[in-house]
Amino acid sequence: MAAAMELRCWGGDWGLPSVHTESLIVLAYAKFSGAKVTVSPIDWTWKTLTATVPELLCGDSAVQEPTQIINFLRKQRFNADYELSARQGADTMAYTALLEEKLRPALLHTFWVDAENYANLTRPWFASRSPFPLNFLVPMHHANTALSRILLTKGEAPLHRITEVEGKIYSDAKECLNLLSYRLGTATNFFGNTPTSLDAFVFGFVAPIYKASLPSSPLQSHLRQLDNLTSFCDNILALYFSSDHPCPSPPVQETMDANLQKLTQLVNKESNLIEKMDDNLRSSPQHKPHRPDPKPSLASEKSSTPA
Amino acid sequence: MSLAAEAFVSQMAAAEPWPESATLYQPLKEDQILLSDCASSLAVQAYLRMCGLPVQVVCRANAEYMSPSGKIPFIHVGNQVVSELGPIVQFTKAKGNSLSDGLDDVQRAEMKAYMELVNNMLLTAELYIQWCDDATAAEISRPRYSSPYSWPLSNILAYHKQWEIRRKMNAIGWGGKTLEQVYEDVTQCCQALSQRLGTQPYFFNKQPTELDALVFGHLFTILTTRLTSMELAERIKSYSNLLSFCRRIEQTYFEDKSS
Repeated sequence: MAAAMELRCWGGDWGLPSVHTESLIVLAYAKFSGAKVTVSPIDWTWKTLTATVPELLCGDSAVQEPTQIINFLRKQRFNADYELSARQGADTMAYTALLEEKLRPALLHTFWVDAENYANLTRPWFASRSPFPLNFLVPMHHANTALSRILLTKGEAPLHRITEVEGKIYSDAKECLNLLSYRLGTATNFFGNTPTSLDAFVFGFVAPIYKASLPSSPLQSHLRQLDNLTSFCDNILALYFSSDHPCPSPPVQETMDANLQKLTQLVNKESNLIEKMDDNLRSSPQHKPHRPDPKPSLASEKSSTPA
Repeated sequence: MSLAAEAFVSQMAAAEPWPESATLYQPLKEDQILLSDCASSLAVQAYLRMCGLPVQVVCRANAEYMSPSGKIPFIHVGNQVVSELGPIVQFTKAKGNSLSDGLDDVQRAEMKAYMELVNNMLLTAELYIQWCDDATAAEISRPRYSSPYSWPLSNILAYHKQWEIRRKMNAIGWGGKTLEQVYEDVTQCCQALSQRLGTQPYFFNKQPTELDALVFGHLFTILTTRLTSMELAERIKSYSNLLSFCRRIEQTYFEDKSS
Protein backbone atom coordinates (compact mmCIF):
# COMPACT_ATOMS: atom_id res chain seq x y z
CA MET A 1 0.00 0.00 0.00
CA ALA A 2 1.08 3.53 -0.67
CA ALA A 3 2.58 6.10 1.63
CA ALA A 4 0.55 7.98 4.20
CA MET A 5 -2.17 10.09 2.66
CA GLU A 6 -2.99 13.55 3.84
CA LEU A 7 -6.21 15.31 2.94
CA ARG A 8 -6.46 19.06 3.02
CA CYS A 9 -10.01 20.32 3.41
CA TRP A 10 -12.21 22.83 5.17
CA GLY A 11 -12.92 21.94 8.78
CA GLY A 12 -16.19 20.73 10.24
CA ASP A 13 -19.10 22.37 12.00
CA TRP A 14 -22.89 22.13 12.18
CA GLY A 15 -22.50 18.46 13.09
CA LEU A 16 -20.67 17.71 9.83
CA PRO A 17 -17.04 16.59 9.39
CA SER A 18 -16.62 19.43 6.87
CA VAL A 19 -18.89 22.26 5.80
CA HIS A 20 -17.55 22.20 2.26
CA THR A 21 -19.37 19.99 -0.26
CA GLU A 22 -16.31 18.74 -2.16
CA SER A 23 -14.38 18.06 1.04
CA LEU A 24 -17.36 16.20 2.42
CA ILE A 25 -17.58 13.98 -0.68
CA VAL A 26 -13.95 12.94 -0.35
CA LEU A 27 -14.15 12.41 3.40
CA ALA A 28 -17.23 10.22 2.99
CA TYR A 29 -15.66 8.21 0.17
CA ALA A 30 -12.49 7.68 2.20
CA LYS A 31 -14.58 6.30 5.06
CA PHE A 32 -16.65 4.08 2.73
CA SER A 33 -13.58 2.62 1.04
CA GLY A 34 -11.66 2.21 4.27
CA ALA A 35 -8.78 4.43 3.17
CA LYS A 36 -6.66 5.71 6.03
CA VAL A 37 -6.50 9.42 5.36
CA THR A 38 -5.04 11.97 7.74
CA VAL A 39 -7.33 14.97 7.69
CA SER A 40 -5.61 18.30 8.02
CA PRO A 41 -8.04 21.20 8.01
CA ILE A 42 -6.81 24.36 6.36
CA ASP A 43 -8.66 26.54 8.88
CA TRP A 44 -6.73 29.49 10.32
CA THR A 45 -3.83 29.11 7.89
CA TRP A 46 -2.87 31.01 4.76
CA LYS A 47 -3.87 27.96 2.79
CA THR A 48 -7.46 29.18 3.05
CA LEU A 49 -6.57 31.44 0.15
CA THR A 50 -3.77 29.62 -1.64
CA ALA A 51 -4.80 25.96 -1.54
CA THR A 52 -7.37 24.30 -3.75
CA VAL A 53 -9.46 22.14 -1.50
CA PRO A 54 -9.95 19.28 -1.22
CA GLU A 55 -6.42 18.18 -2.01
CA LEU A 56 -4.99 14.74 -1.39
CA LEU A 57 -1.25 14.58 -0.74
CA CYS A 58 0.36 11.19 -1.13
CA GLY A 59 4.13 11.05 -1.28
CA ASP A 60 5.14 13.41 -4.07
CA SER A 61 1.79 13.56 -5.81
CA ALA A 62 -1.04 15.97 -5.10
CA VAL A 63 -4.53 15.27 -6.42
CA GLN A 64 -7.38 17.77 -6.53
CA GLU A 65 -11.12 17.62 -7.22
CA PRO A 66 -13.39 14.89 -5.83
CA THR A 67 -13.61 12.76 -9.00
CA GLN A 68 -9.82 12.80 -9.45
CA ILE A 69 -9.22 11.98 -5.78
CA ILE A 70 -11.73 9.13 -5.89
CA ASN A 71 -10.02 7.76 -9.02
CA PHE A 72 -6.67 8.06 -7.26
CA LEU A 73 -7.96 6.19 -4.21
CA ARG A 74 -9.36 3.51 -6.50
CA LYS A 75 -5.92 3.00 -8.00
CA GLN A 76 -4.56 2.59 -4.45
CA ARG A 77 -7.09 -0.25 -4.14
CA PHE A 78 -9.47 1.69 -1.94
CA ASN A 79 -12.53 0.97 -4.03
CA ALA A 80 -16.00 1.39 -2.60
CA ASP A 81 -17.52 0.65 -6.03
CA TYR A 82 -15.93 -2.75 -6.38
CA GLU A 83 -19.20 -4.69 -6.33
CA LEU A 84 -21.08 -2.48 -8.76
CA SER A 85 -22.08 -3.83 -12.16
CA ALA A 86 -21.21 -1.87 -15.31
CA ARG A 87 -24.80 -0.70 -15.52
CA GLN A 88 -24.65 0.60 -11.94
CA GLY A 89 -21.39 2.35 -12.73
CA ALA A 90 -23.17 4.10 -15.60
CA ASP A 91 -26.00 5.08 -13.23
CA THR A 92 -23.43 6.55 -10.84
CA MET A 93 -22.10 8.80 -13.60
CA ALA A 94 -25.60 9.87 -14.59
CA TYR A 95 -26.73 10.77 -11.08
CA THR A 96 -23.48 12.61 -10.41
CA ALA A 97 -24.17 14.68 -13.54
CA LEU A 98 -27.71 15.30 -12.28
CA LEU A 99 -26.33 16.67 -9.00
CA GLU A 100 -23.82 18.89 -10.80
CA GLU A 101 -26.34 20.33 -13.23
CA LYS A 102 -29.44 20.66 -11.09
CA LEU A 103 -28.42 20.88 -7.44
CA ARG A 104 -25.06 22.66 -7.61
CA PRO A 105 -26.39 26.09 -8.73
CA ALA A 106 -28.98 26.23 -5.95
CA LEU A 107 -26.44 25.00 -3.38
CA LEU A 108 -24.04 27.77 -4.35
CA HIS A 109 -26.85 30.30 -4.33
CA THR A 110 -28.11 29.23 -0.90
CA PHE A 111 -24.74 29.58 0.79
CA TRP A 112 -22.99 32.33 -1.14
CA VAL A 113 -25.44 34.51 -3.03
CA ASP A 114 -28.53 34.64 -0.81
CA ALA A 115 -27.87 37.87 1.11
CA GLU A 116 -29.32 36.76 4.43
CA ASN A 117 -27.53 33.41 4.58
CA TYR A 118 -24.28 34.93 3.40
CA ALA A 119 -24.30 37.71 5.99
CA ASN A 120 -25.45 35.60 8.94
CA LEU A 121 -23.94 32.20 8.34
CA THR A 122 -21.49 31.71 5.49
CA ARG A 123 -19.38 34.84 5.76
CA PRO A 124 -19.04 34.72 9.57
CA TRP A 125 -18.08 31.06 9.38
CA PHE A 126 -15.45 31.33 6.65
CA ALA A 127 -14.13 34.64 7.98
CA SER A 128 -13.74 33.19 11.45
CA ARG A 129 -11.70 30.31 10.02
CA SER A 130 -9.31 32.52 8.05
CA PRO A 131 -6.39 34.44 9.57
CA PHE A 132 -6.28 38.22 9.44
CA PRO A 133 -6.36 39.84 6.88
CA LEU A 134 -7.64 36.94 4.79
CA ASN A 135 -10.89 36.99 6.75
CA PHE A 136 -11.93 39.85 4.51
CA LEU A 137 -10.78 38.23 1.29
CA VAL A 138 -11.68 34.56 1.51
CA PRO A 139 -15.48 34.81 1.88
CA MET A 140 -15.71 37.49 -0.76
CA HIS A 141 -13.59 35.48 -3.16
CA HIS A 142 -15.82 32.44 -2.75
CA ALA A 143 -18.99 34.51 -3.10
CA ASN A 144 -17.79 36.10 -6.32
CA THR A 145 -16.77 32.74 -7.77
CA ALA A 146 -20.14 31.26 -6.87
CA LEU A 147 -22.11 34.14 -8.35
CA SER A 148 -20.22 34.14 -11.61
CA ARG A 149 -20.49 30.38 -11.91
CA ILE A 150 -24.26 30.51 -11.53
CA LEU A 151 -24.57 33.33 -14.03
CA LEU A 152 -22.28 31.73 -16.58
CA THR A 153 -23.89 28.30 -16.44
CA LYS A 154 -27.55 29.19 -15.89
CA GLY A 155 -27.79 32.87 -16.83
CA GLU A 156 -29.56 33.81 -19.99
CA ALA A 157 -27.75 35.97 -22.50
CA PRO A 158 -27.46 38.89 -23.01
CA LEU A 159 -28.17 40.38 -19.58
CA HIS A 160 -27.08 37.62 -17.18
CA ARG A 161 -28.98 38.86 -14.14
CA ILE A 162 -29.32 36.80 -10.99
CA THR A 163 -32.97 37.60 -10.25
CA GLU A 164 -34.00 36.08 -13.56
CA VAL A 165 -32.48 32.70 -12.81
CA GLU A 166 -33.24 32.33 -9.09
CA GLY A 167 -36.70 30.82 -9.55
CA LYS A 168 -35.41 28.43 -12.18
CA ILE A 169 -32.45 27.10 -10.23
CA TYR A 170 -34.52 26.52 -7.10
CA SER A 171 -37.26 24.65 -8.93
CA ASP A 172 -34.58 22.56 -10.67
CA ALA A 173 -32.96 21.80 -7.33
CA LYS A 174 -36.23 20.79 -5.67
CA GLU A 175 -36.98 18.51 -8.60
CA CYS A 176 -33.51 17.01 -8.26
CA LEU A 177 -34.07 16.32 -4.54
CA ASN A 178 -37.39 14.68 -5.37
CA LEU A 179 -35.76 12.48 -8.02
CA LEU A 180 -33.04 11.42 -5.58
CA SER A 181 -35.69 10.62 -3.00
CA TYR A 182 -37.59 8.45 -5.50
CA ARG A 183 -34.39 6.72 -6.51
CA LEU A 184 -33.37 6.00 -2.92
CA GLY A 185 -36.82 4.77 -1.94
CA THR A 186 -36.74 2.88 1.34
CA ALA A 187 -33.18 1.61 0.92
CA THR A 188 -30.32 2.79 3.13
CA ASN A 189 -27.83 3.10 0.25
CA PHE A 190 -28.19 3.84 -3.43
CA PHE A 191 -26.77 0.46 -4.48
CA GLY A 192 -26.88 -2.69 -2.38
CA ASN A 193 -25.78 -3.02 1.21
CA THR A 194 -22.67 -0.88 1.28
CA PRO A 195 -22.32 2.81 0.41
CA THR A 196 -20.54 3.66 -2.85
CA SER A 197 -19.16 6.76 -4.52
CA LEU A 198 -22.67 7.86 -5.49
CA ASP A 199 -23.66 7.82 -1.82
CA ALA A 200 -20.61 9.97 -1.11
CA PHE A 201 -21.63 12.50 -3.76
CA VAL A 202 -25.26 12.69 -2.64
CA PHE A 203 -24.15 13.01 0.98
CA GLY A 204 -21.72 15.80 0.12
CA PHE A 205 -24.38 17.80 -1.72
CA VAL A 206 -27.34 17.18 0.55
CA ALA A 207 -25.86 17.12 4.07
CA PRO A 208 -24.80 20.82 4.19
CA ILE A 209 -28.29 21.91 3.12
CA TYR A 210 -29.75 19.64 5.77
CA LYS A 211 -27.45 20.50 8.67
CA ALA A 212 -26.58 24.18 8.27
CA SER A 213 -28.72 26.56 10.31
CA LEU A 214 -29.70 28.71 7.37
CA PRO A 215 -31.73 31.85 8.14
CA SER A 216 -33.54 31.58 4.83
CA SER A 217 -33.73 28.53 2.68
CA PRO A 218 -36.59 27.22 0.60
CA LEU A 219 -34.32 24.31 -0.28
CA GLN A 220 -33.83 23.28 3.34
CA SER A 221 -37.54 23.30 4.13
CA HIS A 222 -38.17 21.23 1.02
CA LEU A 223 -35.44 18.75 1.97
CA ARG A 224 -36.85 18.30 5.49
CA GLN A 225 -40.02 16.90 3.95
CA LEU A 226 -38.08 14.15 2.18
CA ASP A 227 -37.62 11.83 5.13
CA ASN A 228 -35.60 9.16 3.35
CA LEU A 229 -32.93 11.65 2.25
CA THR A 230 -32.56 13.19 5.71
CA SER A 231 -32.34 9.81 7.39
CA PHE A 232 -29.82 8.80 4.69
CA CYS A 233 -27.61 11.69 5.88
CA ASP A 234 -28.18 10.96 9.56
CA ASN A 235 -27.37 7.33 8.93
CA ILE A 236 -24.03 8.07 7.26
CA LEU A 237 -23.11 10.56 9.98
CA ALA A 238 -23.95 8.08 12.72
CA LEU A 239 -22.21 5.10 11.11
CA TYR A 240 -19.07 6.72 9.74
CA PHE A 241 -18.51 10.01 11.51
CA SER A 242 -19.98 9.56 14.98
CA SER A 243 -16.63 9.21 16.78
CA ASP A 244 -15.41 12.53 15.40
CA HIS A 245 -18.63 14.40 15.98
CA PRO A 246 -21.28 13.28 18.41
CA CYS A 247 -24.19 15.06 16.82
CA PRO A 248 -27.85 14.74 17.61
CA SER A 249 -29.77 16.47 14.84
CA PRO A 250 -31.19 19.89 15.74
CA PRO A 251 -34.66 20.48 14.37
CA VAL A 252 -35.28 23.58 16.55
CA GLN A 253 -34.35 26.20 14.04
CA GLU A 254 -36.06 29.33 15.35
CA THR A 255 -34.32 29.39 18.74
CA MET A 256 -31.03 28.71 17.02
CA ASP A 257 -31.51 31.64 14.68
CA ALA A 258 -32.35 33.91 17.59
CA ASN A 259 -29.19 32.85 19.41
CA LEU A 260 -27.14 33.29 16.31
CA GLN A 261 -28.46 36.77 15.74
CA LYS A 262 -27.74 37.79 19.35
CA LEU A 263 -24.23 36.50 19.00
CA THR A 264 -23.62 38.28 15.77
CA GLN A 265 -24.90 41.51 17.23
CA LEU A 266 -22.50 41.21 20.14
CA VAL A 267 -19.48 40.92 17.94
CA ASN A 268 -19.90 43.36 15.09
CA LYS A 269 -17.26 45.94 15.78
CA GLU A 270 -15.69 45.94 12.34
CA SER A 271 -18.97 45.76 10.55
CA ASN A 272 -18.72 49.04 8.70
CA LEU A 273 -15.41 48.24 7.12
CA ILE A 274 -16.61 44.86 5.90
CA GLU A 275 -19.79 46.39 4.61
CA LYS A 276 -17.94 48.95 2.54
CA MET A 277 -15.58 46.44 1.00
CA ASP A 278 -18.41 44.07 0.40
CA ASP A 279 -20.78 46.52 -1.21
CA ASN A 280 -18.12 47.64 -3.61
CA LEU A 281 -17.58 44.15 -4.84
CA ARG A 282 -21.06 42.76 -4.71
CA SER A 283 -23.85 44.49 -6.53
CA SER A 284 -26.68 42.71 -4.72
CA PRO A 285 -28.12 44.68 -1.78
CA GLN A 286 -27.75 43.42 1.78
CA HIS A 287 -30.75 43.51 4.07
CA LYS A 288 -29.31 43.09 7.52
CA PRO A 289 -28.05 46.28 9.17
CA HIS A 290 -25.53 44.41 11.30
CA ARG A 291 -22.52 42.48 10.15
CA PRO A 292 -20.99 39.80 12.29
CA ASP A 293 -17.39 40.16 13.26
CA PRO A 294 -15.31 37.09 12.48
CA LYS A 295 -14.00 35.64 15.72
CA PRO A 296 -12.99 32.07 16.44
CA SER A 297 -15.07 32.28 19.60
CA LEU A 298 -18.16 32.81 17.49
CA ALA A 299 -17.61 29.63 15.60
CA SER A 300 -17.05 27.54 18.69
CA GLU A 301 -20.10 28.93 20.41
CA LYS A 302 -22.18 28.50 17.31
CA SER A 303 -21.25 24.87 16.95
CA SER A 304 -22.16 24.26 20.54
CA THR A 305 -25.61 25.78 20.12
CA PRO A 306 -27.10 23.12 17.89
CA ALA A 307 -25.64 20.23 19.85
CA MET B 1 -39.50 33.63 -17.23
CA SER B 2 -40.93 33.64 -13.72
CA LEU B 3 -42.65 30.57 -12.36
CA ALA B 4 -46.04 32.24 -12.32
CA ALA B 5 -45.63 33.19 -15.95
CA GLU B 6 -44.52 29.66 -16.75
CA ALA B 7 -47.58 28.20 -15.04
CA PHE B 8 -49.76 30.66 -16.94
CA VAL B 9 -48.19 29.70 -20.24
CA SER B 10 -48.76 26.01 -19.63
CA GLN B 11 -52.38 26.76 -18.74
CA MET B 12 -52.75 28.65 -21.96
CA ALA B 13 -50.99 25.90 -23.88
CA ALA B 14 -53.39 23.27 -22.65
CA ALA B 15 -56.32 25.18 -24.09
CA GLU B 16 -55.25 25.05 -27.73
CA PRO B 17 -54.43 22.03 -29.89
CA TRP B 18 -51.11 21.76 -31.76
CA PRO B 19 -51.41 23.95 -34.87
CA GLU B 20 -50.24 22.89 -38.34
CA SER B 21 -48.21 26.07 -38.66
CA ALA B 22 -45.73 25.28 -35.83
CA THR B 23 -42.20 26.31 -36.76
CA LEU B 24 -38.76 25.50 -35.39
CA TYR B 25 -36.04 28.11 -35.86
CA GLN B 26 -32.33 27.36 -36.14
CA PRO B 27 -29.27 29.05 -37.69
CA LEU B 28 -28.48 28.58 -41.40
CA LYS B 29 -27.91 24.89 -41.99
CA GLU B 30 -25.28 25.07 -44.71
CA ASP B 31 -22.92 27.85 -43.68
CA GLN B 32 -23.63 28.92 -40.11
CA ILE B 33 -24.84 26.31 -37.63
CA LEU B 34 -22.28 24.79 -35.28
CA LEU B 35 -22.04 21.25 -33.98
CA SER B 36 -23.57 21.90 -30.54
CA ASP B 37 -26.51 23.93 -31.89
CA CYS B 38 -27.12 21.41 -34.64
CA ALA B 39 -27.21 18.60 -32.06
CA SER B 40 -29.68 20.45 -29.83
CA SER B 41 -31.86 21.29 -32.80
CA LEU B 42 -31.85 17.71 -34.06
CA ALA B 43 -32.77 16.49 -30.56
CA VAL B 44 -35.85 18.73 -30.51
CA GLN B 45 -36.82 17.67 -34.04
CA ALA B 46 -36.47 14.01 -33.08
CA TYR B 47 -38.55 14.58 -29.97
CA LEU B 48 -41.37 16.29 -31.88
CA ARG B 49 -41.35 13.54 -34.52
CA MET B 50 -41.56 10.89 -31.80
CA CYS B 51 -44.59 12.76 -30.42
CA GLY B 52 -46.07 12.90 -33.92
CA LEU B 53 -46.23 16.69 -33.84
CA PRO B 54 -45.59 18.33 -37.22
CA VAL B 55 -43.11 21.19 -37.26
CA GLN B 56 -41.60 23.17 -40.09
CA VAL B 57 -37.87 23.87 -39.81
CA VAL B 58 -36.90 27.43 -40.69
CA CYS B 59 -33.28 28.61 -40.91
CA ARG B 60 -32.57 32.18 -39.91
CA ALA B 61 -29.19 33.87 -39.61
CA ASN B 62 -30.28 35.65 -36.45
CA ALA B 63 -31.98 32.66 -34.78
CA GLU B 64 -29.79 33.01 -31.70
CA TYR B 65 -30.99 36.56 -31.14
CA MET B 66 -34.63 35.65 -31.79
CA SER B 67 -34.64 32.97 -29.11
CA PRO B 68 -36.09 34.04 -25.74
CA SER B 69 -33.24 32.39 -23.82
CA GLY B 70 -30.54 33.09 -26.40
CA LYS B 71 -30.22 29.36 -27.03
CA ILE B 72 -30.88 27.27 -30.10
CA PRO B 73 -33.39 25.92 -31.14
CA PHE B 74 -36.75 27.43 -30.32
CA ILE B 75 -40.24 26.68 -31.54
CA HIS B 76 -43.02 29.07 -32.42
CA VAL B 77 -46.42 27.50 -31.78
CA GLY B 78 -49.57 29.56 -32.06
CA ASN B 79 -48.72 32.71 -30.14
CA GLN B 80 -46.05 31.14 -27.95
CA VAL B 81 -42.29 30.86 -28.25
CA VAL B 82 -40.43 28.16 -26.31
CA SER B 83 -36.71 27.42 -26.45
CA GLU B 84 -34.56 24.37 -25.59
CA LEU B 85 -35.50 20.73 -25.17
CA GLY B 86 -36.47 20.78 -21.45
CA PRO B 87 -39.07 23.58 -21.68
CA ILE B 88 -40.32 22.22 -25.02
CA VAL B 89 -40.94 18.82 -23.40
CA GLN B 90 -42.95 20.54 -20.66
CA PHE B 91 -44.81 22.58 -23.24
CA THR B 92 -45.89 19.55 -25.26
CA LYS B 93 -46.85 17.78 -22.03
CA ALA B 94 -49.22 20.65 -21.24
CA LYS B 95 -50.75 20.07 -24.65
CA GLY B 96 -51.31 16.42 -23.83
CA ASN B 97 -48.34 14.91 -25.70
CA SER B 98 -45.87 13.12 -23.49
CA LEU B 99 -43.45 10.27 -24.13
CA SER B 100 -42.55 9.59 -20.51
CA ASP B 101 -46.00 9.09 -19.00
CA GLY B 102 -45.60 5.33 -18.97
CA LEU B 103 -42.56 5.49 -16.69
CA ASP B 104 -42.71 5.14 -12.93
CA ASP B 105 -41.01 7.59 -10.53
CA VAL B 106 -37.72 5.71 -10.34
CA GLN B 107 -37.50 5.36 -14.12
CA ARG B 108 -38.27 9.04 -14.56
CA ALA B 109 -35.47 9.88 -12.12
CA GLU B 110 -33.15 7.68 -14.14
CA MET B 111 -34.23 9.31 -17.41
CA LYS B 112 -33.59 12.80 -16.06
CA ALA B 113 -30.22 11.73 -14.67
CA TYR B 114 -29.06 10.37 -18.03
CA MET B 115 -30.31 13.49 -19.80
CA GLU B 116 -28.16 15.57 -17.48
CA LEU B 117 -25.25 13.25 -18.20
CA VAL B 118 -25.58 14.06 -21.90
CA ASN B 119 -25.81 17.80 -21.19
CA ASN B 120 -23.01 17.73 -18.66
CA MET B 121 -20.57 15.69 -20.77
CA LEU B 122 -21.44 15.59 -24.47
CA LEU B 123 -22.77 19.12 -24.85
CA THR B 124 -19.93 20.59 -22.79
CA ALA B 125 -17.39 18.58 -24.77
CA GLU B 126 -18.88 19.84 -28.05
CA LEU B 127 -18.66 23.43 -26.82
CA TYR B 128 -15.10 22.86 -25.62
CA ILE B 129 -13.95 21.46 -28.95
CA GLN B 130 -15.70 24.21 -30.92
CA TRP B 131 -14.39 27.17 -28.98
CA CYS B 132 -11.44 26.09 -26.83
CA ASP B 133 -9.54 23.98 -29.35
CA ASP B 134 -7.62 26.66 -31.27
CA ALA B 135 -7.54 24.79 -34.59
CA THR B 136 -11.28 24.09 -34.62
CA ALA B 137 -12.14 27.60 -33.45
CA ALA B 138 -10.01 29.25 -36.14
CA GLU B 139 -10.89 26.96 -39.05
CA ILE B 140 -14.53 26.16 -38.37
CA SER B 141 -16.30 27.84 -35.47
CA ARG B 142 -15.39 31.52 -35.86
CA PRO B 143 -15.81 31.68 -39.67
CA ARG B 144 -19.07 29.76 -39.63
CA TYR B 145 -20.53 31.55 -36.61
CA SER B 146 -19.89 34.96 -38.14
CA SER B 147 -20.64 34.07 -41.78
CA PRO B 148 -23.82 36.18 -42.13
CA TYR B 149 -22.09 39.34 -40.92
CA SER B 150 -19.61 41.63 -42.60
CA TRP B 151 -16.30 42.81 -41.20
CA PRO B 152 -15.74 44.12 -38.49
CA LEU B 153 -18.96 42.91 -36.86
CA SER B 154 -18.15 39.32 -37.81
CA ASN B 155 -14.91 39.38 -35.85
CA ILE B 156 -16.43 41.11 -32.86
CA LEU B 157 -19.32 38.66 -32.56
CA ALA B 158 -17.18 35.57 -33.08
CA TYR B 159 -14.53 36.56 -30.54
CA HIS B 160 -17.18 37.66 -28.07
CA LYS B 161 -18.88 34.27 -28.32
CA GLN B 162 -15.55 32.50 -27.90
CA TRP B 163 -14.72 34.63 -24.85
CA GLU B 164 -18.10 33.86 -23.32
CA ILE B 165 -17.76 30.10 -23.79
CA ARG B 166 -14.20 30.11 -22.42
CA ARG B 167 -15.35 31.97 -19.31
CA LYS B 168 -18.03 29.35 -18.85
CA MET B 169 -15.48 26.53 -19.24
CA ASN B 170 -13.25 28.16 -16.63
CA ALA B 171 -16.19 28.52 -14.25
CA ILE B 172 -17.06 24.81 -14.40
CA GLY B 173 -13.45 23.71 -14.15
CA TRP B 174 -13.01 22.60 -17.78
CA GLY B 175 -10.67 25.48 -18.56
CA GLY B 176 -7.57 23.55 -17.57
CA LYS B 177 -8.49 20.37 -19.44
CA THR B 178 -6.56 19.20 -22.47
CA LEU B 179 -8.23 18.00 -25.66
CA GLU B 180 -7.20 14.45 -24.80
CA GLN B 181 -8.96 14.66 -21.41
CA VAL B 182 -12.11 15.92 -23.10
CA TYR B 183 -12.05 12.98 -25.53
CA GLU B 184 -11.61 10.71 -22.54
CA ASP B 185 -14.71 12.22 -20.89
CA VAL B 186 -16.69 11.66 -24.09
CA THR B 187 -15.57 8.04 -24.16
CA GLN B 188 -16.69 7.55 -20.55
CA CYS B 189 -20.04 9.14 -21.28
CA CYS B 190 -20.57 6.95 -24.33
CA GLN B 191 -19.59 3.90 -22.38
CA ALA B 192 -22.16 4.75 -19.72
CA LEU B 193 -24.86 5.31 -22.35
CA SER B 194 -23.90 2.09 -24.12
CA GLN B 195 -24.07 0.13 -20.85
CA ARG B 196 -27.43 1.62 -20.01
CA LEU B 197 -28.87 0.92 -23.46
CA GLY B 198 -27.61 -2.66 -23.58
CA THR B 199 -29.51 -4.66 -26.18
CA GLN B 200 -32.79 -2.77 -25.87
CA PRO B 201 -34.16 -0.86 -28.88
CA TYR B 202 -34.65 2.29 -26.76
CA PHE B 203 -33.42 3.34 -23.31
CA PHE B 204 -36.71 2.36 -21.71
CA ASN B 205 -37.32 -0.70 -23.84
CA LYS B 206 -40.02 -0.45 -26.56
CA GLN B 207 -41.12 3.14 -26.21
CA PRO B 208 -38.85 6.10 -27.08
CA THR B 209 -38.62 8.95 -24.56
CA GLU B 210 -37.08 12.42 -24.58
CA LEU B 211 -33.82 10.80 -23.46
CA ASP B 212 -33.69 8.85 -26.73
CA ALA B 213 -34.30 12.06 -28.68
CA LEU B 214 -31.52 13.88 -26.83
CA VAL B 215 -28.97 11.07 -27.19
CA PHE B 216 -29.84 10.64 -30.88
CA GLY B 217 -29.51 14.38 -31.53
CA HIS B 218 -26.01 14.53 -30.11
CA LEU B 219 -24.59 11.23 -31.32
CA PHE B 220 -26.00 11.49 -34.85
CA THR B 221 -24.70 15.04 -35.24
CA ILE B 222 -21.24 14.13 -34.00
CA LEU B 223 -21.14 11.12 -36.32
CA THR B 224 -22.19 13.06 -39.41
CA THR B 225 -20.29 16.33 -38.92
CA ARG B 226 -16.81 16.89 -40.30
CA LEU B 227 -14.47 18.65 -37.87
CA THR B 228 -10.75 19.29 -38.13
CA SER B 229 -10.21 15.79 -36.81
CA MET B 230 -12.62 12.86 -36.74
CA GLU B 231 -11.44 11.81 -33.27
CA LEU B 232 -14.76 12.63 -31.60
CA ALA B 233 -16.76 10.49 -34.06
CA GLU B 234 -14.18 7.69 -33.81
CA ARG B 235 -14.72 7.53 -30.05
CA ILE B 236 -18.43 6.89 -30.57
CA LYS B 237 -17.94 4.38 -33.38
CA SER B 238 -16.49 1.80 -31.01
CA TYR B 239 -19.91 1.35 -29.39
CA SER B 240 -21.90 -0.72 -31.86
CA ASN B 241 -25.18 -0.61 -29.96
CA LEU B 242 -25.13 3.20 -29.97
CA LEU B 243 -24.54 3.17 -33.73
CA SER B 244 -27.46 0.87 -34.40
CA PHE B 245 -29.56 2.96 -31.99
CA CYS B 246 -28.87 6.04 -34.12
CA ARG B 247 -29.64 4.16 -37.32
CA ARG B 248 -32.89 2.81 -35.84
CA ILE B 249 -34.17 6.27 -34.89
CA GLU B 250 -33.08 7.75 -38.21
CA GLN B 251 -34.94 5.04 -40.14
CA THR B 252 -38.06 5.15 -37.98
CA TYR B 253 -38.53 8.87 -37.67
CA PHE B 254 -36.55 10.64 -40.39
CA GLU B 255 -36.26 8.40 -43.43
CA ASP B 256 -39.75 8.75 -44.96
CA LYS B 257 -39.61 12.52 -45.21
CA SER B 258 -36.00 13.13 -46.14
CA SER B 259 -35.82 10.65 -49.01
